[in-house]
Amino acid sequence: MSDPIRSEIEREIADNTILVYGKGTKDAPLCGFTMETIQFFNHFGYPFEVVNVLENMPKRAALAEMTDWPTLPKVFIKGQFFGDTDILGPMAQNGELQTVLEQAFVDTNVKPTIQLH
Amino acid sequence: MIDEATMVALIRETLPDAQVQIWDRTGTMDHFDVLIRSNAFAGKSLLDRHRLVEKTLKPARDDGRIHALAIRTDLLET
Repeated sequence: MSDPIRSEIEREIADNTILVYGKGTKDAPLCGFTMETIQFFNHFGYPFEVVNVLENMPKRAALAEMTDWPTLPKVFIKGQFFGDTDILGPMAQNGELQTVLEQAFVDTNVKPTIQLH
Repeated sequence: MIDEATMVALIRETLPDAQVQIWDRTGTMDHFDVLIRSNAFAGKSLLDRHRLVEKTLKPARDDGRIHALAIRTDLLET
């Protein structure tokens, strides 16, 4: 992969089981949807990272192209793209997301800090 | 800022059968919740349904008339 932006994204996705590309940081989200996504994952209790791409237009463009998804935030779980809380919310309600998260962390020693079931 | 009729018209360009409900989240007519029912969503994953909706509204996204959008989709009730 010659494109350095894409390489950086692929590395970040590989290095973080749950990764959120958003506007602002965990401590200081700068967009309502990014904040909502952080609260969403705080609730699940698994570790996750937030990468702030608010000011990084080339990276936002690369991400949009790679996912065919124009908006932020963008959530990746174990390398797979899951959109945003419009997608994750219904998946949490029907229990699908809990399975995805358990599978994503199955090879690690990580346990959620909050057990939901 | 965009009015409801314009949003519905944009959505129906691609999804002619769409039933659309729109909520203005902030009273500023640029942050919306939208519920769209269309049979064009049949057999599509949630991700693809949302991609489709975003594409219909792309012109209003690109020029900033829509700043934020939460999307829910469903099939038409039969």
